[in-house]
Amino acid sequence: MLRSLRFAALFGGLILSASALAVDVDAASYGYPLTNPFEATIATTPPNLRPELPLDADIDQEDRSLTVRPERAFELPENFWAVKKLTYRIATQDKAAPLIFLIAGTGARFDSTLNEYLKKLYYKAGYHVVQLSSPTSFDFISAASRFATPGVTKEDAEDLYRVMQAVRAQNPKLPVTDYYLTGYSLGALDAAFVAHLDETRRSFNFKKVLLLNPPVNLYTSINNLDKLVQTEVKGINSSTTFYELVLNKLTRYFQEKGYIDLNDALLYDFMQSKEQLTNEQMAMAIGTSFRFSAADIAFTSDLINRRGLITPPKFPITEGTSLTPFLKRALQCDFDCYITEQVIPMWRARTDGGSLLQLIDQVSLYALKDYLHNSPKIAVMHNADDVILGPGDLGFLRKTFGNRLTVYPYGGHCGNLNYRVNSDAMLEFFRG
Amino acid sequence: MAKYLLLIAALLCAGVANADNSKANAPVVVDSDGFKEPLSKLKFNPGLDQREFERSTLNALAVYDPLEEWNRRVYHFNYRFDQWVFLPVVDGYRYITPSFLRTGVSNFFNNIGDVPNLVNSLLQFKGKRSLETTARLLLNTTIGIAGLWDPATAMGLPRQNEDFGQTLGFYGVPGGAYFVLPILGPSNIRDTSGLAVDFTIDTAINFLNVAEVSSNHPEVWILRGIDKRNQTNFRYGQLNSPFEYEKVRFVYTEARKLQVAE
Repeated sequence: MLRSLRFAALFGGLILSASALAVDVDAASYGYPLTNPFEATIATTPPNLRPELPLDADIDQEDRSLTVRPERAFELPENFWAVKKLTYRIATQDKAAPLIFLIAGTGARFDSTLNEYLKKLYYKAGYHVVQLSSPTSFDFISAASRFATPGVTKEDAEDLYRVMQAVRAQNPKLPVTDYYLTGYSLGALDAAFVAHLDETRRSFNFKKVLLLNPPVNLYTSINNLDKLVQTEVKGINSSTTFYELVLNKLTRYFQEKGYIDLNDALLYDFMQSKEQLTNEQMAMAIGTSFRFSAADIAFTSDLINRRGLITPPKFPITEGTSLTPFLKRALQCDFDCYITEQVIPMWRARTDGGSLLQLIDQVSLYALKDYLHNSPKIAVMHNADDVILGPGDLGFLRKTFGNRLTVYPYGGHCGNLNYRVNSDAMLEFFRG
Repeated sequence: MAKYLLLIAALLCAGVANADNSKANAPVVVDSDGFKEPLSKLKFNPGLDQREFERSTLNALAVYDPLEEWNRRVYHFNYRFDQWVFLPVVDGYRYITPSFLRTGVSNFFNNIGDVPNLVNSLLQFKGKRSLETTARLLLNTTIGIAGLWDPATAMGLPRQNEDFGQTLGFYGVPGGAYFVLPILGPSNIRDTSGLAVDFTIDTAINFLNVAEVSSNHPEVWILRGIDKRNQTNFRYGQLNSPFEYEKVRFVYTEARKLQVAE
C-alpha cells in the first residue's frame, strides 16, 4: 500500500513536472533556414517566409506627442527641440477592439523596424496598436524619463507606465475592450516589470503579456554585447578599418549585381552572396550597432543630469554647435562603462548603497521570479542560440515559466520574429 | 595507445584551428538546458582590449566639413520644415489622391529624370546602362503613355540613377566640403554643382516640354517636390540619436562613394 502510494506520488509528480515543461520546438520540423545565429540576427527571415502584412497606406495610424516632463523644455539645449515631447504611434481600428502596447528594444524608437513589423502583424489581427520607444531610447530619455538614467528596470517601468496612462488619456474616445502588452529584447524585460507594476496600480489590468527574447541577466547581456566588438576580424589592418572592410564588400557586391537596389531582401541577399561576412565580422557589426546605442545613452544621460563626464556642465550648446567632440568621447563608453560611471552612482545615491550584484538582481528577471512563476498570463518566446543569453539563463526561464516558455532552436537575437511559424504563435498566444 | 590517439586528435584540431582563423566549424556546444552558447563560435582577441570600434568610428568621423556650423543650422531648419510643412503637405497629397494617380505622377517624373540619367551614363561611357536607359525611355514614353506607366521595370529594366555629381566623381573629382542644402538636404560641393548641371540639362533638352511648362507654372515644380518627398523614405529623427547629423553625413558620403564606384 505504502509502496503504491509512493508510486502514485512519483507518478503524479512526473505528470505535474511534464505539464510544466517548456515547449521546445524541434529543429527539424521548425524549418527556419538560417542556422547561424549572427546571420539570423542581421538578415532576419528571408522575405518569402515572412507573414503577409498590410501596407502602411491601409493602416489608420498617427504619430502623436505627449508632454510628459514639461521642465525638460527648459533644461535641454536648443538642438534637442525635437525630443522635448515624447512621440508615439497609434494605429486604430474603426470599432471596439483590444489594445496592445509594443515596447521597443535597446536604444530603439517607437518606429523601429521590429516595432513596425509587430504593429502590422497585430493590426491585421484586429488590435489597436500603440508603439512606444524604449526607455533607453534618446527621445524617451530626454522627454519622459524622470532620472534620465535608464538601466534600473523598475524605474524605467514606472516611466513607461506613466507614458501608457498618458497615451490613454490622450485618446479617451478609443473603444478598448482589453489591454495587452508585448515587447522584444530589452523591451520584453521592461514589459515584465510593467506587468508587475500593473498588478498593484491596476490601471490596465493587462490580460496577457508576451516577452520576446528578453535578457534574463541584464549584466550578462550587456557584457555579451560589449564583447562582440572584441572579435578577431580577418582583413582589418593598419590601413583598413572595419567599416572600410564592410563598405568594400558592399561596393563589390553592388558592382557584381550591376545596380543598386535597396529593399527588404537586400541584407538577406547580401548575406547569401559571395561577399557575405564571416561570423566575426557579423558579430562586430552587431556589436557596433549596440556600441552606438551605448554612446547615445551615455551622452544623453550625462548631458541631462549635468554630470560632466562627457559634456562640460556649462558648455553652451546651440543649433550650430558641433557635437562631434562629444560623440568622440561618448563612443569610448560601452554599456559596462555607462553602468559603472552613471547608473551605479545614481542608484547608490538614491537607495543607500548596494553592490553591483544587488543591482543586477534588482534589474534582471530574477527580481520577478516568484511573480513570473505564478502569473499564467505571462509567456516567453526565446531562442536557443540568442547572443544576449549566458549559460544557465535558459534554465532559469524553464524553471520560472514552465510550459509558458517556448524555445526555438534557431533565430539568434530576434531574427525569427518575422518568421511565419513565430508570428502565428505570437498571434495565437493573445487569441487563446 | 589512447594517449597517442588523443595527441594526434589534439594536433589535428590544432591544425584545423590554425588553418581557419575562426571557430565557425567547431561543433555546437549544447548546454543541459538547451542553450547553444553562440559566443563560443567566435574567435576573440586574447586580451579583449582591441579598440577597433573606436578606431573605425573616429576614422569615419573625419569628413571634411568646414561649414559645419552653417550646415547644422540648415539641418535643423530642414528638420522643422519637414515636420511642419513638407510632411503634412505630403500626407494631404496622399489623402486626396488615389494611389494609382500617385504612382502615375511618380512614373511621369521618373521618366523625365531618365533623360539626365541617360546623358550621365553616356558621359561615363557606361554602354550597357546607356542602352538600358534608352530602352526605358522609349518604352515608357510610348507604351507607357508619356511615362505615366512604367512597363520597362516590369520587363526587367530597373531605373538606374546617374547624376552629374556621379559623372564628376567618375572623372576623379573629389566630393569636397560637405554641404547641407536648404530643403534638399545633404550634399557636397561637387554634387551641388552637379545638381545645377543636371538642372541645365533638363531645361536644355526640354523633354516632353515639361521644363518649359514648369517655368511658367511653378506648381509643376511643387508637385515634383511633393512627389520626390513622397518617394523618399528618410524621416528626420528616425536614426534616433543625438548624433544624427554625424551619422547622416557619414552615410551620405559613403553612399555617394558607392554610387560613383558602381
